[in-house]
Amino acid sequence: MNLTGEELKKLLLPALAFVLLLAAGAATIWYVQSLRAQEAQRLTAARAERQQARDRLSRIAEEEREVNEKLAVFQRLKALNIIGEERRLEWVDAMSRIRSQRELLDLRYQVERQKSLNTVKGKATNVEFYSSTMRVELGLLHEGDLIGFLNDLRNSGNAYYSVQRCSMTRTGQSVTGATMAPRLRASCQIDLITILSKGAAS
Amino acid sequence: MATRLVLYFTASDHLLYRWSRRGLDFEAKFTADDLGVDEFRRYLQGRVGALVYVVADLSGEDFHEDQIPYLRGADRQAVVERRIAQRYRDTRLAAALSLGYVKDERRNERLLLASFTNTQQFVPWLEALAEAGAKLSGVYSVPVLAPALAARLGTRGRNCLVVTVNRAGLRQCYVEDGRLRFARLERTVEMDPEALAAFARAETLRIVQYLATLRAVPREGPSIQVVVVAPDEQRAIFERTLASDSRLAFRVLGMKEAARKVRLGSLVPGAGAEQLFLHLSARAAPKEQFARREERRTFILWKLQRAIVGAGAFVFAACVAYAGFEWYNVYDTRGKIEAQQRDAQDATQQYQRITATFPVPQASTELLKAAVAEFNGIAARTAPPETALAYVSHALDQFPRIELDSLTWAIERPDARAAKPAAVPAEKPAVVGELAQVLEISGRVVGIQRSDYRSVTGEVQRFADTLAADRAWHLVRKQLPFDVTPDGVLSGDIGEAAESSEAPRFTIVVARNLK
Repeated sequence: MNLTGEELKKLLLPALAFVLLLAAGAATIWYVQSLRAQEAQRLTAARAERQQARDRLSRIAEEEREVNEKLAVFQRLKALNIIGEERRLEWVDAMSRIRSQRELLDLRYQVERQKSLNTVKGKATNVEFYSSTMRVELGLLHEGDLIGFLNDLRNSGNAYYSVQRCSMTRTGQSVTGATMAPRLRASCQIDLITILSKGAAS
Repeated sequence: MATRLVLYFTASDHLLYRWSRRGLDFEAKFTADDLGVDEFRRYLQGRVGALVYVVADLSGEDFHEDQIPYLRGADRQAVVERRIAQRYRDTRLAAALSLGYVKDERRNERLLLASFTNTQQFVPWLEALAEAGAKLSGVYSVPVLAPALAARLGTRGRNCLVVTVNRAGLRQCYVEDGRLRFARLERTVEMDPEALAAFARAETLRIVQYLATLRAVPREGPSIQVVVVAPDEQRAIFERTLASDSRLAFRVLGMKEAARKVRLGSLVPGAGAEQLFLHLSARAAPKEQFARREERRTFILWKLQRAIVGAGAFVFAACVAYAGFEWYNVYDTRGKIEAQQRDAQDATQQYQRITATFPVPQASTELLKAAVAEFNGIAARTAPPETALAYVSHALDQFPRIELDSLTWAIERPDARAAKPAAVPAEKPAVVGELAQVLEISGRVVGIQRSDYRSVTGEVQRFADTLAADRAWHLVRKQLPFDVTPDGVLSGDIGEAAESSEAPRFTIVVARNLK
């Protein structure tokens, strides 16, 4: 049966309804499938989170040992006043004290401006490490004075002393009975490292 | 939903019913003349778009069996139309009902050609329908609907005779293998029940004899099943009168029982068994009918519209069903997510309960670990110089002829010092890029004549070897008092004047990688 133009017009509305129903059906499927994809992603994330929590729980004994070990180090750092703001006055006191105790003939030092140590890039922690480079020049009777100086400096605390460079040269002066002249001259570069933590463990 | 109207077309008058799933409701009665047609037109004026079924119950209905070759599609249609045209002068209302195929090699198709003796009586009524914009589903006849009724009444066996007491008269339809084979209508005028039952029996015997002459039924053989639908109040009389014998097996049904079997909810008071056929025409209209396609054009277009929308609805329903299945998956996934989250939460809580017993609070644990790990990293990149100095001092004890002028200890990359000019390259170069403790030792060889360059060189070489004896330390560079390397420039001034009191100088660089 061939349809006339008038009859074809009468089919337009049903055809439109067909298209709309088809579109509505497709939209329904699309919506539900996108919802399913989202839920699948959430499930993957939840599984990963669960696995992480389970793994962390299974490693609890190891973590306890690690915490105990690190706590000992942390408490040692705290006892040495390495944690906290810089104590430049204490450093000056320590230098004076070591010079007088060791009877060093000559001791000159210069502490440079503090700078941040970004050792782990991109790691967001509440712990900041700072370093101030100190240049020390010493007049020594013998090399043992340098070793003693470094030892005393470490024990004085208030920073972690990371010696970067030390050089000793002969002064060429000979020992006379009248005056005490240094036979060696030492020059050291030491990083004074402090740790600033926000809400550090007590 | 379109109004469904059923026009019961008889020789005397035409009754119009409104059909619904509940049943039939009497609407109007029209006389079979021009006056009736006019009334019908007026009736249809307010019912544009109504769906109309015309069911004819006329005695003047012709049935003729014919055979056509085994054909399909347009070829078959052309042959059928030719046969109809050969049989009937007016082909406006004619039908060809298939009776199956002859079981021989040619497999001819058996056709029952059917039409009305007077088709003109339909013309004004069909024109009225077309003018009113009604959708003509088709023109049916009671015999065409008989196979559907026979099937619903539960007839047994291949063949049966359906006898109904209609408004138009006593209708007898012979159904063979579920297809109409023959039918006739006998008028019944004001008969009492006993007479009507006897008339039914007599007419049934007559039609069976006629069918036997046509060889439609065997002359001898098993009894023929006859289903009789009688008014309920006359059922007992019919049952009594229509006793079965060897030739005929009567089964009498009341109208109510028959209506129940065809799912007709309520019966129209005063109407006969024709309402069973009328109901079937609207409820399950058979494919076979008499109207031409042109007269049913509006109806076909309407069916096409419904089919398009129906297909859309079906697709939408399928999409919704699939979406429902997907939604179930979403629901199931959400359940799994919740289970995973619960499990993770349990593990976290358990972890927190255990870590609560740690020497530091849980919140500080991460901070503690970060701080100490960072500090350990820094500490690993440094070393105390005392051990290196002690190492050199120990080596010097074995070489009293060597005096140091300067000593430099540093944390740096050894490769920075390896490339100085006039230097002897190390036998085992340091790992490039790694931080190491680097010792640069500058000194002199005393107590050996400068001219004794072999002894001087040997002394420095032995000292360098001693410094590198420890596997932790390795030689980075050595600068001998005399450059004996192939790449260096060796110069000398041999003679008394050349003797100098200055001790030969050397430089040795050793390194030890940081752990």
